[in-house]
Amino acid sequence: MRRNTLVLSAVLFIFATFAWAGWANFEYRKQATERLLASAAKGELVVDAATGAPEYVSPLKGKPAPAFALEDLSGKKVSLDSYKGKAVLVNFWATWCAPCKIETPWLVELRDQYAAQGFEILGVSTEGDGVGMDDKAAWDKDKAAIAHSAQQMHMQYPVLIDGDSIANQYGGLDELPMSFFVDRNGTVVAVQMGLTSKADIEGDIKKALGN
Amino acid sequence: MAMGLVLGLAALAAIGQTDSTSRSLVNGAAVEYMFPEQVTVAAGKPSDVALHFRIAKGLHINSHTPKDEFLIPTTFSIPDGLGVHLDKVSYPDGKEFTLPADPTSKLSVYTDEFVIQAKIVAEAGNHLVEAKLHFQACDKNICLPPKTIAVAIDVIGK
Repeated sequence: MRRNTLVLSAVLFIFATFAWAGWANFEYRKQATERLLASAAKGELVVDAATGAPEYVSPLKGKPAPAFALEDLSGKKVSLDSYKGKAVLVNFWATWCAPCKIETPWLVELRDQYAAQGFEILGVSTEGDGVGMDDKAAWDKDKAAIAHSAQQMHMQYPVLIDGDSIANQYGGLDELPMSFFVDRNGTVVAVQMGLTSKADIEGDIKKALGN
Repeated sequence: MAMGLVLGLAALAAIGQTDSTSRSLVNGAAVEYMFPEQVTVAAGKPSDVALHFRIAKGLHINSHTPKDEFLIPTTFSIPDGLGVHLDKVSYPDGKEFTLPADPTSKLSVYTDEFVIQAKIVAEAGNHLVEAKLHFQACDKNICLPPKTIAVAIDVIGK
C-alpha cells in the first residue's frame, strides 16, 4: 500500500513537472513571438553597392506611419492622425543626444520655410531612461529637462513626450536622432537614422510634400 | 536517478533556450568591463582598486564631467549591503571631442580604454560584488540610449 502511494506520488510529480515545463515553454515562445513582431519593424544598415556608404533601410518605408497619441509639454494629447492632409516629420530626439542638438536648428529653419506648404514637425522626446509616469518625481524631472532643452533650441513645433512608449512601433529607436517623413496620406516616404545634413532633410521634406 | 533525469530534461526544456530575436545596429556592448575580476584587500581599511573598461571602436561615452548640462555623466557605484562600501571614486579626465558636423561643439568624452580608481572598504570575508557603471554612448552621428552595465568583482577582505 505504502509502495503504491509512493509510485503514484512519483508519477503525479513527473506529470506536474512536464505540465510546468510545457507551460513555461509556451510562455517563452509567446514572448519570443511578441519580441519578433516588435523587432520586425527594425531597420538595418545596408552598404550601398554604388557608393560603398552605409545606408539605413527601414521596413516602415512605403507603409502607413504607425498611429500614436502622445502628450505635449502642456499635457495636451496630440495624435499623428490629426495631421492627415499635411506632410509631417516625426523626429525622435533626446535631451542627452548631442547630434540631435546639431540637427534641431536645421529643423526649426526648415519648418519655417515649408510650413506654408502644409508641413509640420512633431519632435518626440525619447529619453530611453526607463522612467514612467508612475515615478512622478523622475517623470517631472524628465519633463522639466525636455521643456528646458526645447526652449533653449527654440523648438516652435509641437514637442511630445514619452516617445519610448511607441518605440517598438517605430523600430525600437535604439539610435537617435531618428526621423520619419510622412506624406499627406499618412505614408512613410523616407526614414533617416542619425545626423545627416540639412540638404538631405530638406530633400525628404520635399518628398513628403509631394514636390 | 530516473527522477533526476526527468527533472533535468524538463528544466532544460523550460529555461535552456537562447534569445536570438534581439537586434541592434551597433553590434555588441558599447562598454565592456575588463578587469580585475578578483581583488584581495585589507578588511576594514580603505583600499585602491583600478577598474579597467573598454569602449567599442568608433563610439565614445561622456566623461564624468560632460560640458553640457543635459549630457549624461559616466558614473560608477556599488549598491549597499554587499559587504563592500565605496568610499571614493576618481574618474579620468575626459578627452575633448568635436562632432564633425559642428566644429564649434566641444564634448568631454572617454574613448578606447579608461580606468576608474575606486577606494573601497570591505568587511572581512569573500564578497561577490555587482557594481554598476552608468553611461551614455554615441558615435559622431548617432547616440544610443543611456545604459547601466554590471561590474562583477570578487572582493576578498582579509
